[in-house]
Amino acid sequence: MNIPCLFPLFTGLLVFFVGVIAYTKSHFNQISKNFFIFCLTIFLWQFSYGIAFYLNSKPISFLWLKIGYTGVIFTSAALCPFALELLNNFYRNKLSFVFYSISSLFSAALWFTNYFISAEYYEYFWGIYPKAAIMHPFFVLYMNLIFSGIIFLLLFESFREKNKQLHTQRLRYVGGALSIGAFASIDFVANYGYEIYPCGWIFVISYILIIAYTIIKYRLMDINLILTRTSIFIVVYSFVLGIPFAIAFGWKERLIYIIGDNWWLVPLISSTVLATAGPFIYLYIQKRAEARLFQEQKRYQATLRQASAGMGRIKDITRLVNLIVHIVSRTVRLEHTLVYLFDPETKLYHLRASRARSARFKTQNTIENISPIVKYLIRTRNPIVYEEIKQQTQDYGDMNLARLESELVAVNAELVVPCFIDDKLLAVIVLGKKISNSLYSESDLAVFSILANQAALAMENAMFYEEMKNTHAQLMKAEKMATIGTMADGLSHQINNRLHALGFIAGDALDTIKLKKDVFVSPEVKEVMIDLEHALHRIEDNVTQGGEIVRGLLKYTRKGEEGFSELEFDQLVNAAVEMTQFKIKPGEIQIVKEYGKDTPKINGNFTQLQEVFFNLIDNAYDAMMQRKNELKEKGYSPVIKIYAEGDHNGRVNIRFEDNGIGIKEEDKTRLFTPFFTTKLSSKKGTGLGLYVIQKLIEENHNGKVVYNSVYKQGTNVLISLHALR
Amino acid sequence: MSKLLIVDDEIDIREFARNFFKKRGIEVFTASGGSDAQEIIEHENPNLVLLDVRMEEITGVELLRNVREKGNNVKVIMVSGVEDESVIDEAHNLGILGFIHKPLVLDELEKIVLKELHPE
Repeated sequence: MNIPCLFPLFTGLLVFFVGVIAYTKSHFNQISKNFFIFCLTIFLWQFSYGIAFYLNSKPISFLWLKIGYTGVIFTSAALCPFALELLNNFYRNKLSFVFYSISSLFSAALWFTNYFISAEYYEYFWGIYPKAAIMHPFFVLYMNLIFSGIIFLLLFESFREKNKQLHTQRLRYVGGALSIGAFASIDFVANYGYEIYPCGWIFVISYILIIAYTIIKYRLMDINLILTRTSIFIVVYSFVLGIPFAIAFGWKERLIYIIGDNWWLVPLISSTVLATAGPFIYLYIQKRAEARLFQEQKRYQATLRQASAGMGRIKDITRLVNLIVHIVSRTVRLEHTLVYLFDPETKLYHLRASRARSARFKTQNTIENISPIVKYLIRTRNPIVYEEIKQQTQDYGDMNLARLESELVAVNAELVVPCFIDDKLLAVIVLGKKISNSLYSESDLAVFSILANQAALAMENAMFYEEMKNTHAQLMKAEKMATIGTMADGLSHQINNRLHALGFIAGDALDTIKLKKDVFVSPEVKEVMIDLEHALHRIEDNVTQGGEIVRGLLKYTRKGEEGFSELEFDQLVNAAVEMTQFKIKPGEIQIVKEYGKDTPKINGNFTQLQEVFFNLIDNAYDAMMQRKNELKEKGYSPVIKIYAEGDHNGRVNIRFEDNGIGIKEEDKTRLFTPFFTTKLSSKKGTGLGLYVIQKLIEENHNGKVVYNSVYKQGTNVLISLHALR
Repeated sequence: MSKLLIVDDEIDIREFARNFFKKRGIEVFTASGGSDAQEIIEHENPNLVLLDVRMEEITGVELLRNVREKGNNVKVIMVSGVEDESVIDEAHNLGILGFIHKPLVLDELEKIVLKELHPE
């Protein structure tokens, strides 16, 4: 066993190892497949050479040399699919076919003729070596042409792109790696009789290490390698164990020569030393690696902690969204950050916050509900990485992916992170490229996903708080109204008494004036007395009016009897209209009674039905005023038509028809929810109206309430009540 | 001369109503609460009592009941704000001429009172 054979063996194994990793970890895409084949050819070359140098039997060695040379021949052919796929070159298939054919020809010449490699071989200090024959130089030329061409294409393409995209980095590194690897053609020198040890393996190792680096740093072939403790361990201990072994096997003879019988001491001592040092070396490397890896993560964690504390406290959704953008921009230095928030009214995702490095940055303001991005997010519930989608579109040519890709470009998205609460996509965070131009790593994605989830929670919180505030306000108002109702009774009595007193005082004063007006007073004094008389009469009139108002108010707030009785429909309507006199001025609207005297009597509670009808007229009035003010139609005349008719089933069917603003589609489902109101002014109602109507009619009277409405045209309310037999 | 008793806890009512009716030659007595009123009814025998329903000390109906229980059939008109049905019923049961509602202007009150005091 000699050292010369070890290096090729080791190199071959290393290359094979990298190829396998690339192939298995890259989700089996085309590039990695080709790369693996390329690695196989190199492996074949190096490993066979290693075996050839190791064996003592010359004929068998020669056989292995030939096998190795097959690998060499096909290396150039195998390079093409790999590199051309990387370049996405249109002619890759045709060119590959051509080169494979040429290589096959050379290979045939190698095996079946002596024109490629001569039947004789050189005997060098490291072992035997093939001797070049007449076809060989052509092969060298061919191989160098291919390599030069490929390297040139790679580097040219990478410098052609103006911006430093990820892809150009990859091309550059692969180009560089291959350039260095190309120096392995130094091995050809020995084919021509020069006794120079084929140290091409040095360049092969350099090449494969650069490729490995590109894989790790630039996700070449889309591989995500994580430097784990296990891998560090394996590497360190391969050396710890491997070196003594190598010494024992490789230098056995030399050691025996130098030291004698106790040659085995050397491997033993070295293995002891290395085994002792091993753990420290391992720990050292591990600490350094983890420090670098986790430095980023620790920073993320700190930011996340701050962020979650901050976000939870904010109840205003605009501030929240701006905070999210701020956090993201601080966590990673980005070109831009955008947050789109879902608006249930418009069913669109609106741009609510943004931060960009460039002042001239522009992007679209909305994302549709049905857009590819949203659909994809809802389906996968994972962040979208633009580079991945672009790659997949190239590989699979899917139309949907292509649409998704173009939309990602339209919003300038490098990374899209969804904010989900249960199944609802509340918001979409769009991130631009990192300023450092590096890729978004797995840990980046993890951090942003966590952030997005917390953001979703905080957003839901903020929206809930908003709703709560509204409900609270409504509740307060309703309570106030209820309190006023309770106070009304006592209040009205007091007010009544004041009015009564005022009336008497004014009346008596009037009386005094009347009696004395015509008795011995001068004309001037008489005039004054007439004026006073008039004033006092006015006071009396106001007293009477005041009394009516109080009576009307009390009618509305009084509990009234719970019992049912025989009710005249017209009477109910009149009573309801009377209640509206304080809000609706005469002539403002028209109420048309479309029912006759023969309308069957209703079995019901007067006060409750009066309240129901009052609410209906009141709502109709508000709707009509809203239409008048919003649509401003010429010649618009607000009209409420009231229909009532008995049917054969012992029921009275009543209809209140108005030509007000109507009800929007999206509000129809919320109509009977307590506190829901679309009335413009908060003074106009608490939103309890329809809820109360439904309760009174359906629960108390066993009746039915149905609403029909067309927005901007009007509303019909159909009520069905029991008639008295 | 006709005698009129006005029972009301409002001072303005008592004062101005008295002024008014005195000018018409009616003798007016006033009481602000139950005990005074009962005394006047017993001792002065008024022709008509204007009785306020809601008062501090004792309600108009209670006062009426007391009076009726003593066997006094003096004519009573109840003056009310807005009352419960039960009050109205009970008052009618105890025997009253009727109800008048506040606020009332003196002209109307004059007509009602004079009708009762001088039924022509």
